Amino acid sequence: MLTITDLHAGYGRSEVLVGASLEVKAGTVVALIGANGAGKTTAMRAISGTIRPTRGEVRLAGARVDGLGAARIAGLGLAHSPEGRKVFGPLSTEDNLLLGAYSWLPHFFGYRNKAKPALEHVYELFPRLAERRAQLAGTLSGGEQQMLAIGRALMARPKIMLLDEPSMGLAPVIVQEVFRTIHRLKAEGMTMLLVEQFASAALGVADHVYVMERGRVAVSGTPDELRRDPRVLAAYLGAAPVVAPAAP
Amino acid sequence: MPLSVVVQITVSGALMGLVYALIAYGFQLTYATSKSLNFGQGELVMISAFVSLTLLGTGLPYVVVVPLGILFGAGLGVLVERAAVRLALQQKSEGWILLTIIVGLFLVSFAENVWGRDDRPFPTPIPADPIHLLGVDVTWLEISVAVGVLTIMALVEVFKRRTLLGKAFEAVSADRDAAELMGISATRTVTLSYALSGAVAAVAAILVSPITTVGPTMAAGLVLKAFSVAVVAGLESGFGVVLVGLVLGALEGLASLYIGSGWRETPGLVLLILALAVRPTGLFGKPIIRKV
Amino acid sequence: MLKRLILVRGAEIALFVVLAVVPLAVPSPYALGLLTLLAIYGIVLIGLDVTVGYLGQVNLAQAAMLGLGAYVAGIATTRYGVGIPLALVLSGAFCTAVGALLALPALRLEGPQFALATLSFTALCATALNELEWLTNGAQGLQITRPLLLGHTLDARDFFWLCIAVLAVVWVAMRNLMSSQWGRAFEALRDSAIATDAMGVGTYRHKVAGFAFGSGLGGAAGALYAYNFGYLQPQTFVYELTVILLLGVVLGGRKSLWGAVVGATLVALLPNLLSSHLLFRAFSGIAFVLALVAGVRGLVRRKPNDQNAFRALAPIVATFALAAGSFLASNIEDWRKAIFALMLFSVVVGLPEGLMGFASSALARLFRVAPPELPPPASLDVVLPAQVSDGSVLLRLDGLSRHFGGVRAVDGIDLTVKTGTIHGLIGPNGSGKSTLVNVVSGLYARSGGTLRLRGAPLRGGSLMAAAKAGVARTFQNLQLFGGMTALENVMVALRGAWRVPLPLVLLGLGRREERRGQAAGLALLELVGLRGEARTRAADLTYGAQRFLEIARALARRPALLILDEPAAGLAQPDILRQLEIIRRIQQRGITMVLIEHHMDVVSELCQTVTVLDHGKVIAEGPTEQIKRDPKVITAYLGAAEPDAAPPAAVTGAS
Repeated sequence: MLTITDLHAGYGRSEVLVGASLEVKAGTVVALIGANGAGKTTAMRAISGTIRPTRGEVRLAGARVDGLGAARIAGLGLAHSPEGRKVFGPLSTEDNLLLGAYSWLPHFFGYRNKAKPALEHVYELFPRLAERRAQLAGTLSGGEQQMLAIGRALMARPKIMLLDEPSMGLAPVIVQEVFRTIHRLKAEGMTMLLVEQFASAALGVADHVYVMERGRVAVSGTPDELRRDPRVLAAYLGAAPVVAPAAP
Repeated sequence: MPLSVVVQITVSGALMGLVYALIAYGFQLTYATSKSLNFGQGELVMISAFVSLTLLGTGLPYVVVVPLGILFGAGLGVLVERAAVRLALQQKSEGWILLTIIVGLFLVSFAENVWGRDDRPFPTPIPADPIHLLGVDVTWLEISVAVGVLTIMALVEVFKRRTLLGKAFEAVSADRDAAELMGISATRTVTLSYALSGAVAAVAAILVSPITTVGPTMAAGLVLKAFSVAVVAGLESGFGVVLVGLVLGALEGLASLYIGSGWRETPGLVLLILALAVRPTGLFGKPIIRKV
Repeated sequence: MLKRLILVRGAEIALFVVLAVVPLAVPSPYALGLLTLLAIYGIVLIGLDVTVGYLGQVNLAQAAMLGLGAYVAGIATTRYGVGIPLALVLSGAFCTAVGALLALPALRLEGPQFALATLSFTALCATALNELEWLTNGAQGLQITRPLLLGHTLDARDFFWLCIAVLAVVWVAMRNLMSSQWGRAFEALRDSAIATDAMGVGTYRHKVAGFAFGSGLGGAAGALYAYNFGYLQPQTFVYELTVILLLGVVLGGRKSLWGAVVGATLVALLPNLLSSHLLFRAFSGIAFVLALVAGVRGLVRRKPNDQNAFRALAPIVATFALAAGSFLASNIEDWRKAIFALMLFSVVVGLPEGLMGFASSALARLFRVAPPELPPPASLDVVLPAQVSDGSVLLRLDGLSRHFGGVRAVDGIDLTVKTGTIHGLIGPNGSGKSTLVNVVSGLYARSGGTLRLRGAPLRGGSLMAAAKAGVARTFQNLQLFGGMTALENVMVALRGAWRVPLPLVLLGLGRREERRGQAAGLALLELVGLRGEARTRAADLTYGAQRFLEIARALARRPALLILDEPAAGLAQPDILRQLEIIRRIQQRGITMVLIEHHMDVVSELCQTVTVLDHGKVIAEGPTEQIKRDPKVITAYLGAAEPDAAPPAAVTGAS
């Protein structure tokens, strides 16, 4: 479904991504983990078109999409729930969701009816959002905003969903809820690329894992393989606090 | 000063104030998507007026000229966006301030040479005789201005709140990158907002020209006051603009009555500077949060 | 290698000598009149350049200031017999005051609102000048009697020399101003207003002062303008004139005294240009060819994107319109506004740095000029005196909170930081660390709770207040003044005896303090190992060097509390080691630090105490070793323990 090959991208002078390659097969969940600053979010943004890659290829369902610009890539079936959620604060919850479906809804009138089935699906997944459908998105709690961001991405009826750090800044109990939803989406057959700091949860839901380090993919494998790999711990935990229970 | 005169002046002034509000709506439309506005908006009004006048001169009926004029205004708005705004937005700079000023200046000169510097009357099927309404004299023209302005405002409000595209406008302004992720092309949205802004300017032109007559400088004064209204009300509030427009128009009428006609402009300008001193984001505007 | 000083000063002196001598060589009164206008417009444009060039704002009020100054001088002389020196002072002072009054509200927001306010002001002035007939004679115009200079009447040539003398004085004063801490402050507030305030340099007050100063210059020029023409009308000082002035500044080159003079030449010659068909055709033809050449070069050289295509093609279209118009139009004068518009458009889009900007980069490539030598670094004890670290409480937070809409970024935090310690602040992304630090440093106001520094409550929501109280910081996303050199970045923030009062600066007497400031800055650069990069532009430094520079800049504040927001983010291992060394050296001077970090090895090495945040609350606090083993901390970083998400069995205590 999604293939990136030798992708380079950066901001201004600094190149953060220096040749990353990965693949997401249809119907699977792929996790991208790594230390802060390794380039995970930059990779996501380069894939979804928010920033323009300087080199390399991005293919969505076989067609090349690198350099097309975010709006067009979104129209081709890629939904990106960005880091920090980025909900539209001044708009209501429901408006945010409706906008998620912009690429296939009529732009003037009649969109509410057409969007009904998709909206109900999202409200069923996230009952809390249904309760707050008229509330301004900027006043939602962090966890609710995250659910809104995922719901918004779902509304696009995408071929693949990119989830960037969904657990960021959320209390553990909320994180559990978020990952329950991700598991459910996986069960429904959604293809997902997941970037996460919370490695163990990511490993728990992924079919395949890539570890990023300093702008490129350092390790690739199934979650079980990675759990046994000391390099992973070095790369991933190198910049996170070392948690030191006594070695078994 | 007999009360009836004061009331008369106040009401007439307030109705003119609605025109400022209408032009101010033009600013809000473009600010809504891109936080930019056309400093040459007055020239847009003026050129639309001239073009409509020319079309009427060819014998086309009024009902045909009106939509054509509006279409032309929209086209002019797109031209402004392409020539003066897009580059600055891409560079994330405020260069559009100077560039829209420049485009406006060019248009004035263009009008002066193509149509001449004299003011011309604008023929309209609406009669100019006054009628007596609630103790005040109003002309049908003034009523048509009020009706036209309020209709446009209603349309704009409906657009902003009820259509998906209107929500997209707000999304682009709230977070351009996130909007793009929804499949909303920020560039095209901005262009559209400028087209709409140009269309609104054309409507203002058609409504106001019979009263002010058409000339190269007809809109210069109007626009400054529209700016005052937009800034004082806050560049993001819809109804605030109507309110402030009415108040400003009334104040201007009173100023010219009590202080002298030359000082007519002053309330607007003073109001603007005071508003900036007290509440920079406008009376109905929202505060800004800085990110680091 | 020429000494820069000789070259630059030499050129300036040559300019003024030539200007002064020309009327002796060329006895044409017409040329004299033109040169006089050039001098007057030069002063106006130098004033306008302060706002447009240095502050980067579109200022539409300079024509009004010119008018106000002209009328003040005209009325003073005609009615009260005031002589030239006093009239100049009156006009300048009046317009400075008016400028300040206008700037106070107008500069609270920038960009369009500011431009609108200045535009309104111009309209207001025109109305006032027109309506106050008892004072200004209104639309009929004001006839001005010839003024006296210390009792003597001036002929045209003497008046010209007076104008040149005033221009020279203004030139020198501006040069002195812009090469002092003021110039640095203007540059800094353009690059990062937040950092400027955080370093205790008031963004707002500098903007207001700059605008007022520029307006004052416009006013003083107005006096000369009035005496030059002998007759004033309100309709001169309107919008069209303001646009012409903008054209002068932009075409000549922003942030440049030479640019102002070049622009003034154009403005003075404009009427001539428009009155001669032949001259205008030649001019527009040349402009078209230049635009074509530059446009093609631009297309070839730069990346093929939307922006660059427009920047290359639009000037070609505009100059083509100018050239075509010059041949097609029967009366050029009628099209003057369109001509200004096309010229200004071509310059703004195609040559944004103006003629002087272009010339100086070309000259820089031709001549290699050695900059003046820097003094030796001062002693660190002078720059950063050691502070008392007795373990008393320096910073105290009680129940501090900060909400954004529904999001509780900081949710009731108690925190105590003792003097002389390095206090770590850790937690997962989004736990509230940066928000907390933003509240302490004054970027955000608090939503609840109290904040005390050395026992005294700290006024929230004000970067300046926090900076004054002794808080300095670095930023998670670097906020350097990219366009300035490393040394200048540090010098902006310098606190203490290196500040010189404004009048002395203008007179050029701040030189010694400037050098002492340089010495102090160098000492701080040496502390972080960047002495060799003192003259490198901050934007050109390596990422690691930029991080160190931010630390040096914060130290220039001689802070009681130094906040380091993820200073090691993105650093490679060798740089991390260097940074540890720097921070240790800072601690030796007794400076208290709060350190936000993700790199646990950095935290372990440096911090005596660590506070752990999660979800806006404190979940653990204590010595580093203890924190690392705290189960709550482990949970926060690795998430809730679920059967299928247990921490991998191979996790060891490796660092």
